[in-house]
Amino acid sequence: MLLEYVNLTIRAFAGVFAPLYGQRGWKLSALFAQMVSIGVASLPTVALANFLLGIVLAIQGAGQFEKLGSTDLVASLVAFSVLREIGPLITAVIVIGRSGSAITAELGTMKVAEEIEALNVMGIDPVRYLVVPRLLAMIIMMPCLTVLGEGVGLFAGWLISVTTLHLNGFFYVTNSIAAVEQKDLFTGLLKALFFGAIVGTVGCFYGIQVEGGAEGVGKSTTKSVVTSLTCMLAMDAILTTIIYFIL
Amino acid sequence: MSDPTPAPSQSKSPYALEVRNLNRSFGSRKIMQDISFQLKHGEILVIMGGSGCGKSTLLRHIIGSLKPDSGEIFIHGTEITKLDDEGMSKIRKRFGMLFQTGALFNSLTVGENVALPILESSDVAPNIAELVVRLKLELVGLTGFEHLKPAQISGGMKKRVGMARALALDPDLLFCDEPTAGLDPVMTSVIDTLTVDLTKKLGLTAVVVTHDMTSAFRIATKMIYLSEGRILASGTPDEIKANPNPYLQQFINGHADGPIPFKLSKDNYLKSLLSPESL
Repeated sequence: MLLEYVNLTIRAFAGVFAPLYGQRGWKLSALFAQMVSIGVASLPTVALANFLLGIVLAIQGAGQFEKLGSTDLVASLVAFSVLREIGPLITAVIVIGRSGSAITAELGTMKVAEEIEALNVMGIDPVRYLVVPRLLAMIIMMPCLTVLGEGVGLFAGWLISVTTLHLNGFFYVTNSIAAVEQKDLFTGLLKALFFGAIVGTVGCFYGIQVEGGAEGVGKSTTKSVVTSLTCMLAMDAILTTIIYFIL
Repeated sequence: MSDPTPAPSQSKSPYALEVRNLNRSFGSRKIMQDISFQLKHGEILVIMGGSGCGKSTLLRHIIGSLKPDSGEIFIHGTEITKLDDEGMSKIRKRFGMLFQTGALFNSLTVGENVALPILESSDVAPNIAELVVRLKLELVGLTGFEHLKPAQISGGMKKRVGMARALALDPDLLFCDEPTAGLDPVMTSVIDTLTVDLTKKLGLTAVVVTHDMTSAFRIATKMIYLSEGRILASGTPDEIKANPNPYLQQFINGHADGPIPFKLSKDNYLKSLLSPESL
């Protein structure tokens, strides 16, 4: 199973760079279609989730900082957490549930309906035709969604702090800027990049592995979501450790 | 390195397809046992047999989706069981396949489905591909349906679009897996006529897997009957009809009672119904 996953991942990444070596590659139109399906269509849910978590972070933080008499630290907490951890994480969770599962279900249904075998018989590599555009779209769109989600999360923190916690809006912004470094933003984006690669490859792998009709599609979709979430959290822990100790 | 896949005109083999001593097991279950046959250019071979007899598995070996445990498969003289993905891909461009379900891509229109192998296998300009698509759809009597999605057309039309797609790259070998399954008798006849006409007009060699006997005798120039992974009988349709093998006769006449072991005969059914355990 693991060997097959590694094989598919290598073939998919080789397929991404195939046009550079003069080989037949992926089509721009297929990539854009997947970017719309994975990215643009996920935007409202990603924005809503980040907005709500921005509110929760600000209120929870305010409750603790109030005891210390330093409520203005809410801005630092929200900015730091959203950029480094919450933004990439919650965005990935939404994308896994919405787009990762959809990729598995779509490819799985295509497998059951003999469409993937039809591609093989026509001499069209299913990895090049189906997997590469989805993987590439996931790698491109995950950081984009993360940046937008982080923006919404930061705005939600500011909004709740100004309207409910009665903090000064201008000082909130300056505190936020002072609390974070460029590295925090890049850390979040780096995580998003890896999360995109994980969700794309795992989603496609379980889709192509489907056996046994509708029941098989359901089982594979569940496995895909659980595996993506587990791998994403493991990757988060690995990257956080590496960044903490090395960078 | 030389190209291992010669063009049909260069092929020295008298056979379009030749299968030699093919064996395949899944676990302890033998799916194919010593399958051998030859098919000359222009012939239509019907592979028939009951459900689970190994006919679809045999077809999947011939198209290279499965690899045998032992044996050889020659397509226009090229042995394909040892070919790598690239070599197989070249061979596959020379044959077309009509799937049981049509296997059309639901996200693409009828025209895009037919154009897919053309656009993906070469750098043909889209307007040329469009012209070829119209030509292929005309061959199967579906001119003007280019812009519809597969969900908007009937089962028989899907099969015909599948046929147009199979013919898109002007193959010399056509494979059909249960082409008339689930179709009404009139549409079955339409698909049969289409298969015979296209084979003659385009000079194709065809392999059709079916258990529809009316359809099989209508199109075949050669038939093989598979039972439990073995070829039990082969020959022309007349030879098959005259073959006294009781298994074959039970199968082609569609009788419930006979030597074929998957039956539940009228007598057995009545016995089991009236047995004390069932009361």
